[in-house]
Amino acid sequence: MSTQQQLDDSLIARYTSQPTRLPAELRRQIEHAWHGAPVQLYALADLDQGLRLSEAWLALGPRHIAVAKRESDGWDVRSFERSRIEAVREAPGLSANTLTILGTPGEPALALLRYTHRQRRAFENIRFVLEPPYLARHLIDRVVRPAQAGTLSLARAGTIAWLAVAAMAAVYLIRQSAAHVRLRLMSILGEWVARDLRAELYEHIQHLSLAFFSRKRTGSLITRVSADTDRLWDFLAFGVVDVSLSLVMLAGLGAVLLTLDWRLGLVMTLPVPLFCWLIYRHSEDITRLFIRAWRKWSRVTDVLSDTIPGIRVVKAFNQERREIGRFGERNQDVTAEFNRIHRSWTTFWPLLMLGVHTMTVAVWVFAVPRLLGNGAQLPVGTFVSFLLYTTMFVGPIEVIGQMARTINRATTSAHRVFEVLDTEPEIRDVAEPVRLEPVHGRITFEHVTFGYDGVRQVLRGVSFDVVPGELIGLVGPSGGGKTTIVNLIARFYDVTGGTIRVDGVDLRRLETGHYRRQIGMVLQDPYLFHGTVLENIRYGLPEAPLSQVVVAAQAANAHDFITRLQHGYDTVVGERGHTLSGGERQRVSIARAILHDPRILILDEATSSLDTETEREIQQALERLVAGRTVFAIAHRLSTLRKASRLFVIEEGRLVEHGTHAELLAVVNGKYRRLYEMQVQLA
Amino acid sequence: MESTLVRRSDDGAPRTPAAELRLEWRVDGSLWATKGDEERPVSVRRCFPWSEPARHLSLRDSDEEEFALVRDPAELDPHSRAALEMALAVAGFVFEVTRVLEIDEEVEIRRWRVETRQGPRTFQTRLDDWPRTLPHGGLLIRDLAGDLYHLGRPAALDRHSRELLWAFVD
Repeated sequence: MSTQQQLDDSLIARYTSQPTRLPAELRRQIEHAWHGAPVQLYALADLDQGLRLSEAWLALGPRHIAVAKRESDGWDVRSFERSRIEAVREAPGLSANTLTILGTPGEPALALLRYTHRQRRAFENIRFVLEPPYLARHLIDRVVRPAQAGTLSLARAGTIAWLAVAAMAAVYLIRQSAAHVRLRLMSILGEWVARDLRAELYEHIQHLSLAFFSRKRTGSLITRVSADTDRLWDFLAFGVVDVSLSLVMLAGLGAVLLTLDWRLGLVMTLPVPLFCWLIYRHSEDITRLFIRAWRKWSRVTDVLSDTIPGIRVVKAFNQERREIGRFGERNQDVTAEFNRIHRSWTTFWPLLMLGVHTMTVAVWVFAVPRLLGNGAQLPVGTFVSFLLYTTMFVGPIEVIGQMARTINRATTSAHRVFEVLDTEPEIRDVAEPVRLEPVHGRITFEHVTFGYDGVRQVLRGVSFDVVPGELIGLVGPSGGGKTTIVNLIARFYDVTGGTIRVDGVDLRRLETGHYRRQIGMVLQDPYLFHGTVLENIRYGLPEAPLSQVVVAAQAANAHDFITRLQHGYDTVVGERGHTLSGGERQRVSIARAILHDPRILILDEATSSLDTETEREIQQALERLVAGRTVFAIAHRLSTLRKASRLFVIEEGRLVEHGTHAELLAVVNGKYRRLYEMQVQLA
Repeated sequence: MESTLVRRSDDGAPRTPAAELRLEWRVDGSLWATKGDEERPVSVRRCFPWSEPARHLSLRDSDEEEFALVRDPAELDPHSRAALEMALAVAGFVFEVTRVLEIDEEVEIRRWRVETRQGPRTFQTRLDDWPRTLPHGGLLIRDLAGDLYHLGRPAALDRHSRELLWAFVD
């Protein structure tokens, strides 16, 4: 016996007045009864059944357990095999604890021992070893070994073993089925949420006014509708459940650790708030990085949405290298941002885990002296148990740490999505909008002023009155405000001053959707959607009969070229109608306007980019189109507006002249006359 | 287009006067359209080959000018209608696929082996040339040579064909 042990023994004997070790003669007696098998653990039960102080010992061997009680003539030793133990229960009291070792159900307990709290640690060590075995241990101790020893028939052992294996399989099956259900439910739920967000976002975007689209880049919007909503799925499908489960586990395991040993428990649990704070701080930092990265990512998609539709211009100006360079630059930019995130993450994560493992080391640092007998007693069993729970305790911290990145990806994307969703449409209907039925098409401008940016005024006090059926030609230098006038008539924007009236009613009081259905537009560069010619002509009236489509196409001088196409009206025109020529696209757009049958028609340089023959055909089509409608036609080629009822000359946001072609030509030094003469001279 | 041959019906649709337009196949193997004193050999073009193949038929002369537009063949006399239907059979011919036997992908090419009402056939499409879904739900495949293969009801094909087509059908 070492000096230290002797010192401990003398201290225990002095201060507790109890034996420090299993008496040597008892040990010999027990090991004799066990055929030489050693006593591995023992504990002193210092109370008898009547709760009087006494001396009884519980000894544990490899295959046996012994209960020894001091009698007047020596030791009464009862020994039984550990394999008979079915359960071990401990009933704690204020100062007396009872350990019951149970065997076959319904039969008397194998042993019942009472002891004070002083002995409790020693009993916990034994109890820890005697806890009902797990399935594998059960199989080994209760089936394999008895079968090898011949105490259990092979057939019976086989049945039990297979039942146990089946139970194990069932447990795994149930566990994985639950995981399957959870993952599936959450991933599907996540998809539904992402789908609804996409739908809501797209619907909201459809209702936003043109000013919004002027501010936002196409690539940025596409990224928000597609990629950002998808990142939310990632988080919803896995992040929510994993983080929630980890938090619950962390709280539960923390409580278990504190219960096992409050000193060591504090070593493990006290730093957790610090780790959570560090994760939070890291999240804050990484959020900024993600915001930057998504913004850069949008710049990449901006290049795509910019150059792919404009590829003809790129090629025409031989700017492929430049565009490749532009894309490469932004691609490099976004890569640098993501690498910055990775650098931050890969620095933080190992440091976090180092901190977590430091906790485990600290547990050892505090535990070792106690295990060796210094400080508060720490039973080996408790410590082993503590270490097992410690391993489990570290898991949730890892999950939360890892999920921080996923959560940040999701939340930064969510911010981008909700930024759009929270944007209020600038054009909104009043509480009880007016629905004009029918719309006659009288348009009145009363001192209208307007500026796109709220600073520079594009229109400055424009006033005019157009009666139904008039064809108004808007002429004047570029940037004068002609397109702004038609944008305001279509209510793409609201006036900043003055009033626009339609049939005498303030435009802002009209039901926008219904009013816009009364408006048709034929633009200089007609926009056709990917789809068939038929779908494009029927865009405003999807249910229009095919016979009416043919009539509209005939009136637009489009029927002939359409029927020459291999699939006729069922021909797919490609994105923006790129398979058709400019004149063909224009005629399809006129057919679309004719079928739509609007009361108010806007022609914005509808024939300016066409050759003479095509222009003649389209002019014919337009003459059929304008009949009986209020028309505002913008044209730089003044000869196309000779048939206009009146011409408005717009310059620097003001209506500077108005009258018929002949009237304006008669004005000496008139602006229209000067413009007309210049064009005639150039021709 | 001779606009005098077209008049508006009550719903505003163009209509070729049935009494004025006659169609017949002549010994030269051409379909002839006669309108009053004017007659021309014509070919038939469907305006809506997939949306409404049996109506809105454009009769075009050798210069590809529309000679007449037949809104509904039922408006023609029986003799003309029979002649028109014969012309339509030729003009509207596409392979009708009854089974898909094999779809292989090679470098930049997708190779199809199918059975059609006209017999077994192998053809190729580009990898990024997907079958087109038609308004009635059928599929139309255009091969590298421009030939068309029509699958009227993909869902009614045999299981093997459906499995092969699964990736191409919504």
